[in-house]
Amino acid sequence: MSKSEFYIGWMANAPGTFAKHAKRVLLILFPVALIVAYLLATSQKKFSSANFEYGKLTELTGIYFNKPVPLLKVYDKNREPITIPLVGYGKHGAETAIMEIENERKTSLNGKEVTLKGTLLYGDGKTILQIDKNDKPLVNIGSGSAFSVVERDLGTQTIRGEIVDPKCYFGVMKPGEGKVHRDCAIRCILGGIPPVLHVQNKIGESNYYLIVGPGGEKMNEAVQDVVGEPVSIEAKVMQQDDWIILYTDKESIKRISYAQLRNPGAKVIACSSMK
Amino acid sequence: MSAGYAAVGWNRQKKIYDWIIFGFCVLYLLTFVVLTAFFNPDYTFETVLIRSTSTLAVLLLHIILSIGPLARLNKKFLPLLYNRRHLGVTMFCIAAVHGVFSIMQFHTLGNVNPLVSLFTSNTNFNSIAAFPFQALGFFALIILFLMAITSHDFWLHNLSPKIWKTLHMFVYLAYFLIVMHVMLGVIQYETHPVFVILISLGAVWLIALHLIAGTKEVKKDNQKFNPGTEGFVYVSEANEFEEGRAKIFCIDRERIAVYKHDNKLYAIHNVCKHQGGPLGEGKILDGCITCPWHGYQYLPHNGQSPPPFKEKVSTYDVKVSEGKVFLNPNPYDEGTERPGASIN
Repeated sequence: MSKSEFYIGWMANAPGTFAKHAKRVLLILFPVALIVAYLLATSQKKFSSANFEYGKLTELTGIYFNKPVPLLKVYDKNREPITIPLVGYGKHGAETAIMEIENERKTSLNGKEVTLKGTLLYGDGKTILQIDKNDKPLVNIGSGSAFSVVERDLGTQTIRGEIVDPKCYFGVMKPGEGKVHRDCAIRCILGGIPPVLHVQNKIGESNYYLIVGPGGEKMNEAVQDVVGEPVSIEAKVMQQDDWIILYTDKESIKRISYAQLRNPGAKVIACSSMK
Repeated sequence: MSAGYAAVGWNRQKKIYDWIIFGFCVLYLLTFVVLTAFFNPDYTFETVLIRSTSTLAVLLLHIILSIGPLARLNKKFLPLLYNRRHLGVTMFCIAAVHGVFSIMQFHTLGNVNPLVSLFTSNTNFNSIAAFPFQALGFFALIILFLMAITSHDFWLHNLSPKIWKTLHMFVYLAYFLIVMHVMLGVIQYETHPVFVILISLGAVWLIALHLIAGTKEVKKDNQKFNPGTEGFVYVSEANEFEEGRAKIFCIDRERIAVYKHDNKLYAIHNVCKHQGGPLGEGKILDGCITCPWHGYQYLPHNGQSPPPFKEKVSTYDVKVSEGKVFLNPNPYDEGTERPGASIN
């Protein structure tokens, strides 16, 4: 740099050596931007393949049950049940929308065959239906149904996994799990979306468990502090058709380490066998 | 340097600077989005927007925090320093897209106000691993917002340079909050080590750079001067001064710039009234001492900016005897005229 050269920003041109140096800096900075973008973009965890059919309404006919969580049981051509938990618009459960329908029709939907219109979310073999009062979700209401729920008592088990909100997890958000999504999952669960325990074994197979209280009451507020974290849940495990329900209480849900989550141990339920 | 205020005092260099910032941001965002879409076809627009803007903002913040010490170590970085506030405002805007969209994504359409949700969803404030990292990002964004809206000479003059500088030093708190936001957030989700490696490398780079630049300054400031008579201390030989340039002496923790102009020596306080730039590292242009940071100017014999400008700095007595330069470190009131000392 010449001693006579002096840089002032309000001059039209930078002195020669300053301009050359600035160009050299840019020749470093632009490749740095490319490298950083490449490293970060290609190192992200794989996005879930779950789907949220945003803007597309689907009609489903099945039997509505309000326990253990609001859900619709749809039967396939082999008369096998497909359980579809219901959620509301945004970060809300389905109760309000269902209650408004029931008040309007002056009848309970529980146990009745209904046709509901809503937005489907699905992933990893599970399906959720979002119903929104603005979509006028009740298409048809029938009479009581002869279909019964097949229940199987799987005893008391300790299960390790992460509590997620199924609406985000099964398609609305990617990721819909883990620390980065934790606040949203808490807000969804506090808004009435039923908490679900996601369990994954060492080879990446997952299973999902609806969480309710010992008498089937809602556990949404009870799980607030442990949503999105590794937990161990001791629960009475009941299989109801194609979903498994955990009947537990706040004291039986314990925070564990990620190491404990990755090495569940012999007494912990094997998720792949429950499918 | 101007007498009035304009939103941006555009000049050719400023336009080039902003186009480069724009190109840099577009290049980064496009690269990130395209690569994510290619390697992760199940991506969602919302997540890519949140991630691309957050990572770009952190990268820009590292560049912004590097410019200061780099310019202290090598004056050729001054072109990056001159319009650094444009880079800062850009970085805030990009961080704001990340922050606002994240709050919308994670906290709207719930059973409480989104801002209430931000602080009441995850309440594990007593746990490091489970700490609500989003709150850290929120407070960092507030600091960046305050800095961005005051990144104008209007606020510099109305808040006073001292308060303005103090406010803008909060960028280091914002940086710390952002590092913790990343460490307690995405680092706990992503499993690839590149995330923790990059954020750690960034922190090490910035700490090392600031230490090196700071050490250089401290060495200058610790120079010892022998006490002389009548308050004057010997500082240098007269023939060591270059016409139109200065030497800086730190006496009793005050930096004083002694300029040679028209074969006379003049002493003024070294700190520019604009943003605290080192006046002694400037040059006399058109008869005015010109700050190397943003070109603010002062007359050497009275420390006053030429009319219509009103900035003033302290002046000092300087004398030359038998080729030796003596400086009296007791300052005169800002803008006080001093005759200077003839070298011959």
